[in-house]
Amino acid sequence: MTDLSEGRDEYEGRDEHDIAPGVTQAAEYNIREGIQTYAIGLVLAVILTGASFYVVSTPLIWGPAIPTALIVLAIAQMGVHLVFFLHITTDPDNTNNTLALAFGVLIVVLILGGTLWIMGNLNDRTMLPGEMMQMQR
Amino acid sequence: MTAVDAFTPLRPDTDPYRLGHGHEAAGLHAHDASGHGEGGPASKRVIVGYGFWIFLLSDIILFSAFFAAYAVLWTATDGGPTGRDLFDPTSVAVETACLLLSSFTCGMSAVATGARSQLWTQVFLVATGLLGAAFLAFEAKDFAGMVAQGAAPQRSAFLSSFFAVVGCHGIHVTTGLLWLGTMMAQVWVKGFRPNILRRLLCFNLFWHVLDIIWIALFTIVYLIGMGR
Amino acid sequence: MLGKLTWDAIPWDQPIPLGAGAGVIILFLAIIAWVVLSGNLPYLWREWITSVDHKRIGVMYTLLGLVMLFRGFIDALMMRSQQALAFQGAGYLPPEHYNQVFSAHGTIMIFFAAMPLIIGLMNFVVPLQLGVRDVAFPTLNSTSFWLTATGALLVNISLVVGEFARTGWLAYPPLSELQYSPGVGVDYWLWSLQISGVGTLLTGVNFVTTILKMRAPGMSYLRMSMFCWTALATSLLIVAAFPILTATLAMLTLDRYLGFHFFTNEAGGNMMMFVNLIWAWGHPEVYILVLPCFGIYSEVISTFSGKPLFGYRSMVLATMFICIVSFMTWLHHFFTMGAGPNVNAVFGITTSIIAVGTGVKIYNWLFTMYGGRVRYDTPMLWSVGFLFTFVIGGMTGVLLGVPPADFQLHNSLFLVAHFHNVIIAGVVFAVMAGIEYWFPKAFGFRLHEGWGKAVFWLSLLGFYAVFIPLYGAGLLGMTRRLQHYDLALWRPWVLAASIGIVFLVAAAIAQVIQLYVSFRRREELRDVLGDPWNGRSLEWATTSPPPVFNFAVLPDVHGEEPYWEMKRHAIERQEMAAEPQYRPIEMPRNSPTGFITAFFSTITGFALIWHIWWLVGVGLVAAYAVFVWFAWRDIEEYVIPAEEVARLERERRRPRAEWLAQHPGEYPA
Repeated sequence: MTDLSEGRDEYEGRDEHDIAPGVTQAAEYNIREGIQTYAIGLVLAVILTGASFYVVSTPLIWGPAIPTALIVLAIAQMGVHLVFFLHITTDPDNTNNTLALAFGVLIVVLILGGTLWIMGNLNDRTMLPGEMMQMQR
Repeated sequence: MTAVDAFTPLRPDTDPYRLGHGHEAAGLHAHDASGHGEGGPASKRVIVGYGFWIFLLSDIILFSAFFAAYAVLWTATDGGPTGRDLFDPTSVAVETACLLLSSFTCGMSAVATGARSQLWTQVFLVATGLLGAAFLAFEAKDFAGMVAQGAAPQRSAFLSSFFAVVGCHGIHVTTGLLWLGTMMAQVWVKGFRPNILRRLLCFNLFWHVLDIIWIALFTIVYLIGMGR
Repeated sequence: MLGKLTWDAIPWDQPIPLGAGAGVIILFLAIIAWVVLSGNLPYLWREWITSVDHKRIGVMYTLLGLVMLFRGFIDALMMRSQQALAFQGAGYLPPEHYNQVFSAHGTIMIFFAAMPLIIGLMNFVVPLQLGVRDVAFPTLNSTSFWLTATGALLVNISLVVGEFARTGWLAYPPLSELQYSPGVGVDYWLWSLQISGVGTLLTGVNFVTTILKMRAPGMSYLRMSMFCWTALATSLLIVAAFPILTATLAMLTLDRYLGFHFFTNEAGGNMMMFVNLIWAWGHPEVYILVLPCFGIYSEVISTFSGKPLFGYRSMVLATMFICIVSFMTWLHHFFTMGAGPNVNAVFGITTSIIAVGTGVKIYNWLFTMYGGRVRYDTPMLWSVGFLFTFVIGGMTGVLLGVPPADFQLHNSLFLVAHFHNVIIAGVVFAVMAGIEYWFPKAFGFRLHEGWGKAVFWLSLLGFYAVFIPLYGAGLLGMTRRLQHYDLALWRPWVLAASIGIVFLVAAAIAQVIQLYVSFRRREELRDVLGDPWNGRSLEWATTSPPPVFNFAVLPDVHGEEPYWEMKRHAIERQEMAAEPQYRPIEMPRNSPTGFITAFFSTITGFALIWHIWWLVGVGLVAAYAVFVWFAWRDIEEYVIPAEEVARLERERRRPRAEWLAQHPGEYPA
């Protein structure tokens, strides 16, 4: 049996300006360009990952700055993965995909930031029963 | 009165209370397909890809809750071992390499699929699966080593949250491997049908997102954790 | 072999749950026997259980929600009567049973009554209003429904096998930890919510995709109906909030099953983090419930005022504003936990800010009615009742959002009265309005007006009679969840509330009568045109009930109120548009996947609750097998031939053309 779903869609072609996430014309139909994109992504990712591991091991960087440096490198690498592996772009045909991603990132930031702020503030002001018991010992 | 009534624009609305409505003349922009669905329902490929993308975002938020728990609890070692005592940078580096390479081979399989090459698609999917399995093996070895040292998740809240967040990623990779096997069988038996192509697209998205989550894991949990 | 499960799990010594359980089982068996004996089982299986039609799934969701609403209402009756009797005495419910009753009441009402009702209406209405033929993922939709049903089933199994949680509906640790709740009650709570939560999450994914990627040609974002906008906002909230619930429940599960220390007293666990995380889900959940209801009110008020919705764009903005800001207020559920003044102040301010969005909506509804020819049919009555009642609930909410006031009022009956005020007026009234409004579309006949109005007035009266006294008792310091109390000061308020609930019982009876009477008189209440209320959005363009494909040809949308424009045009020209060329339509085939998935989830869930590990393994393997089997299917769709489409479409056009000829220049209804 053939799959009836493709090619019989009444409105196919109307969404030529709409694209699924993870799809580019290059990766789909041009082998050379496809491989190129992924290879560039891989090289950049390897560099950034290497940098992360280097930052931890080297004595050259001031200790308290390390977490910040690591987080910056991680965000950069996530960007590389999004662009070169997931093909998320700022093109108009990608608007929905990017907006959805932005919404997700916003929620992640709110949850992480909110939780850290609330729980940090709470820890500063209160003591857990466990800690209290330890102090009584 | 029927659904397909192709009519000429009516006179502008005369309702004086019609505040807050657009004033675009009816019918003018009706068919400018601008990528936002005005041109009628999107094709199945876009619908499936987008739906799976939304699901992945929810998965990322799931991880963010585990990350939040880890961030709150990572100092709660209860006198037990800390990250500095436990984490082995070499092992983490090997795991990272495995997963990063598997992400690349997964991308290569997508290129091969684009070229409709059964052989290369299968080769790269096998490579992806083997790298994923190697990642899992190293992670399992790490976990077993930690438990043997008495650093089981039951030891402290820090270890609970560590095992939960890293283990959740591991479960995702395991699920991904099961899915991968199913996909390879489907590609083998049924070839590149539209529905199989859609599923391959989803699998690719899934695998790349797992790698993105691993970036957060090796940075926040391992590298920052080792500094402590 | 059977884990913790023994014959002692059945509460032989407690007549109330045993009797209730036996009654439910007998009723259930009787229904099954009737279905089988009357030969309707194949029909039920083919047309409903395996259906992937969004309309059928919507109806099943709504039915599930109504049944669970009834179940939760019985819990409410037990609580009110217990408190009426337990003044300086023990009442008739022992504490361990009473605690289960209030925990089950909250859990069932939120997860298994309100959520299915909302999602049911969304399922039925959204694709019709978007002018498309189904949701993005029809089989997934069916799976979502059956997973929700699994959760509801597990909660109700706890009535007779074992016990339910005694921890309140959010099961705060450390009380919900193994050390203090060693029974299976919390496990029932965990797994029923976890399983139904997955179903809800998938619904969210499904509807975000449907609304953003599947709309009739020409329907740009700012031409979508208000209900679709609110459904979009709710689906986005589901996608963003339910994973947090999943994660939090998973952490508590790990604590209870594997001895982890997320929320325990010992080993550095932090129970306040549970409160933080669960409310990071819980506050958006409030808006998940209420936003589609705002959509329903928008549709109803606009239709019955005979006007377009006032301030449509501000309404869209307010909805999306609430969608985002609802993730910034969660701390107001635990102001008293011990956070500093700056944290409390910030969340107090965001709480007040989010009320602005709702305020905008209230004014828009009022201005929609202003200058309109308002018809007070039953759906409109519910909406006006909502406008009055919800403002009271909103005001008390802003009051509770002020941290110093919250320190006095938290955990009191004032809080209980507040959230019942917003949820009953906001959600239950909306669902009643929505059912009344869309019932003719779903079943082809209207509900009886007289009995509908009786239900409304009894509910409104009953609501005020129960909850205004509870506000009073709360202001006098009465805390929530009291199994008995000794203070005479509270007694009159509690008695008043207990008398008030009699009106709600009467409303429930009137509701059953309304359904019965409407069914008996369905021929005279028949909706021939498919447009019983002189509607404005696309669902009224098709027949009542709609054909399986909804629209023979996808409608062309040229404005915000597509059907109103079509109708006005047809009436002005005194003719319907020419018949288009009908083409074959392909529709997704029915699939038992959802039902089978739910079957194995029920087994796995039950096995996990009772620690029957081999059965857990069986369930997981079966789940994977179902996945592979489903992935292997070859034919996903079937085709409805063009002649059949043409026949059904001509059936739709005939009564409309006749009506048009008989009523020149008039509007229906």
